[in-house]
Amino acid sequence: MVEGAFRQRNGIYPMTNPILENIRRSLGSTIQTPLRLPPAILESRQTASVDSEVEIFLNELKKLSGVGQKLSSSEIDSALDTLVKEQNIHKATVWETPHLRQLGITAILHSLGVGLVSPNASKHEMALCDLGITEADYLLPETGTLVLNSSVEKPRAVSLLPRIHLAIVRPEMLRADMHQVFAEAKENHYLVFITGASRTADIELTVTLGVHGPRNLYVWMIDS
Amino acid sequence: MTHEVPTYIGFEEYSEHVPASIPSAVQQATDRFVSGRAARVAELPQWEELRQIGSDIRVHTIENMDVYLIQLEEKVKAAGGTVHWAETAEDANQIVLQIAKEHNVKTAVKSKSMATEEIGLNHFLEEAGIEAIETDLGEYIIQLAGTGPSHIIVPAVHLKKEEIAALFSEKLNINAPADPIELARIAREVLREKFLNAEMGISGGNFLIAETGTLVMVTNEGNGRMCTTMPDLHVAVVGIDKVLPNWESLTVFLKLLARSATGQKLSTYTQFITGPRRAEGEFGPKEFHLVLLDNGRSNILRDPVGRDVLKCIRCGACANVCPVYKNVGGFAYGSFISGPIGAILSPQILGTQAARELPYASTLCGACADVCPVKIPIPTILRHLRRRVAQGDAFALSTIPVPIRAAANLASLVLARNWIYRLGARLLPIINPFFRKNDWLSGMPYPLNRWTNVRPLPQFGAGFRKWWKVRSAKGTESTR
Repeated sequence: MVEGAFRQRNGIYPMTNPILENIRRSLGSTIQTPLRLPPAILESRQTASVDSEVEIFLNELKKLSGVGQKLSSSEIDSALDTLVKEQNIHKATVWETPHLRQLGITAILHSLGVGLVSPNASKHEMALCDLGITEADYLLPETGTLVLNSSVEKPRAVSLLPRIHLAIVRPEMLRADMHQVFAEAKENHYLVFITGASRTADIELTVTLGVHGPRNLYVWMIDS
Repeated sequence: MTHEVPTYIGFEEYSEHVPASIPSAVQQATDRFVSGRAARVAELPQWEELRQIGSDIRVHTIENMDVYLIQLEEKVKAAGGTVHWAETAEDANQIVLQIAKEHNVKTAVKSKSMATEEIGLNHFLEEAGIEAIETDLGEYIIQLAGTGPSHIIVPAVHLKKEEIAALFSEKLNINAPADPIELARIAREVLREKFLNAEMGISGGNFLIAETGTLVMVTNEGNGRMCTTMPDLHVAVVGIDKVLPNWESLTVFLKLLARSATGQKLSTYTQFITGPRRAEGEFGPKEFHLVLLDNGRSNILRDPVGRDVLKCIRCGACANVCPVYKNVGGFAYGSFISGPIGAILSPQILGTQAARELPYASTLCGACADVCPVKIPIPTILRHLRRRVAQGDAFALSTIPVPIRAAANLASLVLARNWIYRLGARLLPIINPFFRKNDWLSGMPYPLNRWTNVRPLPQFGAGFRKWWKVRSAKGTESTR
């Protein structure tokens, strides 16, 4: 294959890949000049006051059958007490992040008689948990979305395996939209957007929650 | 599912014998998605602008696909992942099998993926003795039933809850009630075991971001997260057309996709996966393999009209509005992808010989092009492919019988030249005496008898132009 048969490209790639060769051969005959990237991506959204952004977020979450509420850090005890009783929670697993530690989540759960499973336990043990508690790294108000990344302290399974997911978040996590989140977070090796509870409509279009992921999603917005 | 690569798709034959349950079930689904989409689109004043930008970015990416794929490969490798290039379906299947064998895999959990349907991966792995389990509820149901999908988003919509209950009872050896919520709970339990014990997770991908080497996956049930999080090994099979330049451009498609597909603002779970887990002790797969599937796509690029099909983001909006699809359902399209997009993709991947009937599976009403979030000119491509089917192309001969092709060529010759047409119109009355019966023409020879057997034809008269001239002259006089 003659090099000149292909389009001129910056950075010569060794011609050993038949797929790339064929792409160039196919395009070469019809494309004159490579386009520049279309610049016209829509701009980031204008945000309102923090309070109204929180309202937008909680309102969207509600539409997705999520349960959101605003709490002060002193109200967490009683809120957890209510949740544990309402949802009949025996076992829980919690992200080991500084903020959750500072709120004393594991101690409260322990005092409520809930068994704690280490977030770094095996997946089989984690799967036995009723409740998984995480934070979020970012929040998207327009869609009621939690954005979580992954690390040793923030295992992906905590927001996935237990039947109930509780995210304890703060208004500082709010971002205007995806543009801002991506600008800050795209170098992370793992991100997940969680927008409501796990759902399906695969049987006779009946909406069913909790098919593989959590059946219930709670989000507590802690005023700092 | 048994998906051998079809050598002939009998759309016409099938569409004459559509099971009665299909149109009603499919239309319930499409109506739901059409109204959901309309509501979400109405909320977004910049919708048309977004579509145009989406279209521009996809065209740009397609026309520079080699550049972005090279960047993607570099970045995936830099993130600790492995990239495999698969020229054909067979290559891709072999690559996945090889990876599975190297890791001693007995069971693989799969999230819904058009690419693995396209290559018939499940069937291939099963034959090699590896259990491949679909975990999307609808896909799981049709895998148990041994049929294909009737709808891209809700593949088992043609089955009633009673049928699914009977299926679960038989296959899982339990007593399943005919209740959607209970059935979903049963599937959750059965599949939970599989997620926790499978050695390999297989996924497709909605997008690939060249900028960072990131696989983007959109799901609602959470099975996509399970497949890519629980097993130590994650293999993603993704078409080369899924590549996007960067995260900025991704924002456009995430806004377009769920709104167009299900009428959601965003699907429940969107994952952004860049290589395997980073740290020892972090939850997530130890190995990440990306299989880049060509399977004819790089050939499609050769056709400047047809290649717009590669802009597709697989939302299914075109099928939901298609009057033909609503009446025949997904099976009729005989391949991994159905609806108008299937009618323009299958002929380009399987060839205009095997899928020769699909470009005609449309009324050319244009509803598909109106809703397509990336503005694929589907009717234009349908007409283009009809021409390729009729005239033959670089890959297949014409499929039209010689006499009809000759007649069509003759007609196009005549219609393009005014003088021949006029001459013909004058000469035609010569044949009147041969077939005339009571002032009508009947009993003409084959193939014209297909008309005259049913109803006689009026005699040919050469007088239209003359008559029109006289008539307009009179008309002008009378209005004067």
